[in-house]
Amino acid sequence: MYKIFLYDGTFEGFMCAAFHIISEGIDKDRAIIVSKNEYQPMFIDSVREVQSDLKAFLEMRKGIIEKTDCSVFKKIYYAFLSDTEDKESYILRYLFLLFTHGKKIKYLYSDDIVNAVEKMAKNVSREIGKYMGLIRFCETNEGFLYAKFEPKNDIIKPIAYFFKNRLNEFCWAIHDVKRNKVAIYDRKKVQFLICNTLKLKVTHQEEMFQMLWKKYFKSMVIEERKNLKLQQQNMPKRYWKYLVEKN
Amino acid sequence: MDILEKLEVLGAAAKYDVSCASSGSKREKHFGIGSTFSAGICHSWTDDGRCISLLKILFTNECIFDCAYCINRKSNDIKRATFTPQEIAELTINFYKRNYIEGLFLSSAIKNSPDWTMEMLFRTVWLLRYKYQFNGYIHVKAIPYASLDLIRKTGFLVDRMSVNIELPSEKSLRLLCPNKTKESILKPMEFITKVAEEEKNFVSAGQSTQMIIGATDDSDYKIINLSQHLYKKFKLKRVYYSAYTPVNHDPRILKVDSPPLLREHRLYQADWLIRVYNFSADELFKSKDENLDLEVDPKVMWALRNLDKFPIEISKASYEQLIRVPGIGIKSARRIIKNRVFHSLDFEDLKKMGVVLKRAKYFITCNGKTFERFLIDLPPEKIKQKLTDKNSLQKPQQLSFFDREVFTSVITGEI
Ligand code: SF4
Repeated sequence: MYKIFLYDGTFEGFMCAAFHIISEGIDKDRAIIVSKNEYQPMFIDSVREVQSDLKAFLEMRKGIIEKTDCSVFKKIYYAFLSDTEDKESYILRYLFLLFTHGKKIKYLYSDDIVNAVEKMAKNVSREIGKYMGLIRFCETNEGFLYAKFEPKNDIIKPIAYFFKNRLNEFCWAIHDVKRNKVAIYDRKKVQFLICNTLKLKVTHQEEMFQMLWKKYFKSMVIEERKNLKLQQQNMPKRYWKYLVEKN
Repeated sequence: MDILEKLEVLGAAAKYDVSCASSGSKREKHFGIGSTFSAGICHSWTDDGRCISLLKILFTNECIFDCAYCINRKSNDIKRATFTPQEIAELTINFYKRNYIEGLFLSSAIKNSPDWTMEMLFRTVWLLRYKYQFNGYIHVKAIPYASLDLIRKTGFLVDRMSVNIELPSEKSLRLLCPNKTKESILKPMEFITKVAEEEKNFVSAGQSTQMIIGATDDSDYKIINLSQHLYKKFKLKRVYYSAYTPVNHDPRILKVDSPPLLREHRLYQADWLIRVYNFSADELFKSKDENLDLEVDPKVMWALRNLDKFPIEISKASYEQLIRVPGIGIKSARRIIKNRVFHSLDFEDLKKMGVVLKRAKYFITCNGKTFERFLIDLPPEKIKQKLTDKNSLQKPQQLSFFDREVFTSVITGEI
């Protein structure tokens, strides 16, 4: 019989579930962590809902960092943001390995679990890296900057914190259209909301700057070096939808 | 002329400048709009596959000089334009806040006089930093013959400054740029190095330069040897190589049908070996008038010429030896060293660590064993034949991929 642990879908919640499994010595091959709203009930399971609790989360974090270091903790967080199916199982098993092997886990390249988590984290960090550059804001009549994007992974949080630092003097909103998540920054703090549609109007100036950017983008091409394949390799088509210069 | 037209003219005029990095800034002080990100960020890629990170424009393309290779030279009949400092500042801020760019790259032709031009560049960055409180990345060119005092004042406001060395030898410079002397380039370069060593917050992302490849008959040895000097003597952060794009018909320039992109690519690879892998120009080249092998990358070229140093044994080799093996990079070398403490490594393990066995297998042994029998005893020509990089012959890569390797590893926090 499997022991199902339901959590609220957040990273903190997931870590709390893992905390219970590890600290109660539950067999890792019998434990499954599932997000509450993705779980489909089955008779044969024993189901337990885990509450997010800051203390348990911090304890887990401390444990991971003491056993390894911050970079491993960050890796786990990034892997968690991945859209890989069943990411919870991989990360849970990774945590078990981590508490057995400590720092050595960084060098277990040949282990399938380690490999899978590495890959998930890398994929997420690569997407974050791309979007740091490829998000496009426009100026709205409502007086804030607004950007839409549709990332593969659930990266709105790290992206928002990046722009909190970068565009600290402006009010802005970043909208993950696929997940209906919005990050809003009011020059003090970032808030995350769920939101379906936003009706906004761009300023008059906005059109001019979009046009200037498009012109500039064209004028930079050296015809003799034209290499559309290389362009696509660096900037895959799935990023183009909201790029001013590509529309 | 309206701003749209100016941007078109002065953007197009700046596109031949190949430096693109916006990385490595350590400028302190946190005020106003924006930030620099130490790894640099690419914001778009043009149709030629080059990364756009900075708003790269000329202040003006009206030039009093007449350099043979340059589209903006006095004797060309082209559309001319000049920005005002205000216009550039506003463009920069507005592009920046929309996240189109990481900052500004400001270069210029020489209008009126070198000092007039330098003064304009200074005013532009001053406006950006003080009136607009802009805290993003700024790279500015130092103009040859401009007063050192102006260069100094500007250097405190920017992240990076560069003087273009333009050509790999004095002879070529004399031939193609009658208005510029070696002195006029090296003096400001030396000055910037000196001040940067003494003062904090002066060009904190360092100095770079660029030279044109293929417009003259200078050999790759000469080019790489010069770069080596520039890295050592002037502590330059980067030397950029720009395959010459034929923009002018001038009998002094070697005839080029299309920019020698593959040669440019090989030069970046050789430069990388000098900068990161501790090779020297003399080691890479056998004689002073020699070019890189276009068919294989420079590390393979070197290894084939030094087969007596191989094979090396993976379980014992030092870090320095490991990184000299074709197919083993810095990352893999470090992984090998950390891993072999835990258990002995076979070829399968190496593959998982990212070693490109296609190249490495001719040069290494694992626990005394070769990858396949007889592999190591192959003559160099045979190995070369197998390693000839057909792909790269067709599609030379652009420079930005070197930076990207570093860039992603910084973001993922691994080494
Ligand atoms: S000084 Fe600069 S802009 Fe003027 S012709 Fe020479 S290279 Fe071109």
